[in-house]
Amino acid sequence: MNGELRSSLLIAYRDLVRFWKFKHWLASQIVMNLADVVIFALIFNNIVNREYIPDYIKFMSTGVLSVSVFASSFSIGREVGAEMRREVVYYLLTLPASRWALIAGRIMGGTFRGLIYQLAFIALNIALVGVPNLYQAAIIVYTSIVLSASMSALAIAISTSTRDFNLQATFRALTYYTLFFLSNVFYPREVLRLRFPGPLADAIVHTPVSLASDVYRWAFGYYGSINPLAPLELTLWAFLLLVLAALLYRRNISR
Amino acid sequence: MQTSDLRAMLLLVQWDLMRMWRRRIFVLMRITWFAVQVSIFGLALTAMVRFRGIVSAQLDYYHFYLLGVYTSMLFSISVSNAYEVAEEFEEGIIEYHLTLPIKRRVLSLGRAVGGGLAAFIFTLPMYAIVLMLLGGGPPEAIAVSLAASAVFSVGIVGLVLSLVLSVKSGDATDILFGIIDAVIVRLSTIFYPAVVLSRVAPYYYAALVNPLSHLVDLARTFFFFEEYRVLAIASPVTMAAYLLGLAAGLVSLAIYIVERKLEGGGWR
Repeated sequence: MNGELRSSLLIAYRDLVRFWKFKHWLASQIVMNLADVVIFALIFNNIVNREYIPDYIKFMSTGVLSVSVFASSFSIGREVGAEMRREVVYYLLTLPASRWALIAGRIMGGTFRGLIYQLAFIALNIALVGVPNLYQAAIIVYTSIVLSASMSALAIAISTSTRDFNLQATFRALTYYTLFFLSNVFYPREVLRLRFPGPLADAIVHTPVSLASDVYRWAFGYYGSINPLAPLELTLWAFLLLVLAALLYRRNISR
Repeated sequence: MQTSDLRAMLLLVQWDLMRMWRRRIFVLMRITWFAVQVSIFGLALTAMVRFRGIVSAQLDYYHFYLLGVYTSMLFSISVSNAYEVAEEFEEGIIEYHLTLPIKRRVLSLGRAVGGGLAAFIFTLPMYAIVLMLLGGGPPEAIAVSLAASAVFSVGIVGLVLSLVLSVKSGDATDILFGIIDAVIVRLSTIFYPAVVLSRVAPYYYAALVNPLSHLVDLARTFFFFEEYRVLAIASPVTMAAYLLGLAAGLVSLAIYIVERKLEGGGWR
C-alpha cells in the first residue's frame, strides 16, 4: 500500500514539475480567464439589469474561480491526450506501478496544478470582492481541492477517449460549454428561473460548478448566506466523478 | 493561372471538403454545442440584459446575440483548421503535399479556399437555426451575410495556415489559437454593440479593427437595417470592403509563407 502511494505521489510530482514547462500555455490560460473579467464582465456590466446583478464584475470574478480550476485541471487532460496520440502511454504502462497508482497519480497531479493556478485568481478576488475570514478561507481551500480533483479526473477520461487531436479539442470545448453554460457562473439563479422551467433551473443550481461558484461567492462576501449542504453535495459529486473517470481512464489506456 | 493549376486547386478544395465530410461526428458535436449556446446561454443573457437608453429599446438582444454567436462559431470552426493542419504536420501529410507536382502558390490558395469553404459549409446548419430563430429575413440580408461569411472564413483559414506553418509546433498551435479565440471574440461586437464598448477606449478601438465586428455588424445592418445602422461600427460598404481586403491580405500572406518560407520537417 505504501509502495502504491509512493508511486502515485511520484507520478503526481512528475506532473507538477512538468506543469512549469508549459509556462506559455499557462500564460495563455490566464489571459483567457482574465479576459472574462477584464473584458467581458467590464463591458457587460454596462448592460446588465441591476435588479438581478448589482455588480457583474464581482459576480464574474468569483465565477471565474471555478472556470480557472477547470482550465488548469484540464491541462493534465491535454497532456494525457497527447500521450495517447504519441503512444507514450505504452511507456507509462511499463513503469513499475499499478494502473490504479498511475491513475491516482495523474489525478493528484491535475489537482495540484488546479490549486496552484487558482492562486492568482484568489488574489484577484481578494482585491476585487473581499477578504474571507479563517472559516471561509478553509471552505475555499476544501472547495478548490474537491473541484480540482473532479475536473482533473473528468479531463483525463475525456481526453483519452479519442486519439484525434481535433476531436480531443472539441470534446474539451463541449465539456466546458456544458459545464459552464449549465451553471450559475455567468448568470444568477434568478435569471435562470426567469428563462427556464423551474425543475431545470433548480437542477442547474446543484451542478458541481454552480455549487462551487456559490461557495466562492459566499466565502468572498458577495453573497450573505449559502445553502449549508453545498459543500456536502460537492463532495458527493466529486466522489461520483472520480470513480467514473478513473474507470474510464483505465479502460482507455487498456485498449 | 493555367488550366492545370486551376484543376489542381479544385482538387485541393475537394480534398478539404471531403475531409470535412469524413468528420461527421465532429460536425454533429459542434452543432450540439451551438444549440446549447443559443438555447441556454443566449436566453439567459437576454434575460439579464437591459440597454438603459444607450441602445434603442426596440432592439431585441436575443436577435442581436443570434447573429453574434453564429459569427463566433464560424470563427471558431475556421480557427479549428489549425488543429487539423497541426495533425497533418504530425502525420507527414504536409510534407506529402509539398512533394506533389503542384505549385506552392496553388497549394496554399487551394488549402485556404478549401478550408474556408469547408468551415463555411459546416456552419450552414447553424445559420439555418439562426434564421429560423430570427423568424426569417430579407433575401438580400441572407445573400450578403452568407457571401460575407464565406469570404471571412477563407481569410481566417489563410491566417491559420500562415501561423501554424510558421510556428511548426502542436503545443504552440494549441496555445496561440486558444488565446486568439478567447480574446478576439470578446474584443468584438459579438456580445455587445460598439456604443457599449466605447466606454473603454482601447477595447472600442480594438473592436473597430476586429474582422469579427465587421462581419457581424454587416449582417446585423442588413437584417435589422434602420434599427441597427446607427450602432454599426461602419457603413455596410466599408465593412464589406474591409472583409474582402482582409481575406485577400491573409490569403496572400499564406501564399508568401508557403512559397518562400516553408520547408518539410522541423515539427515540434
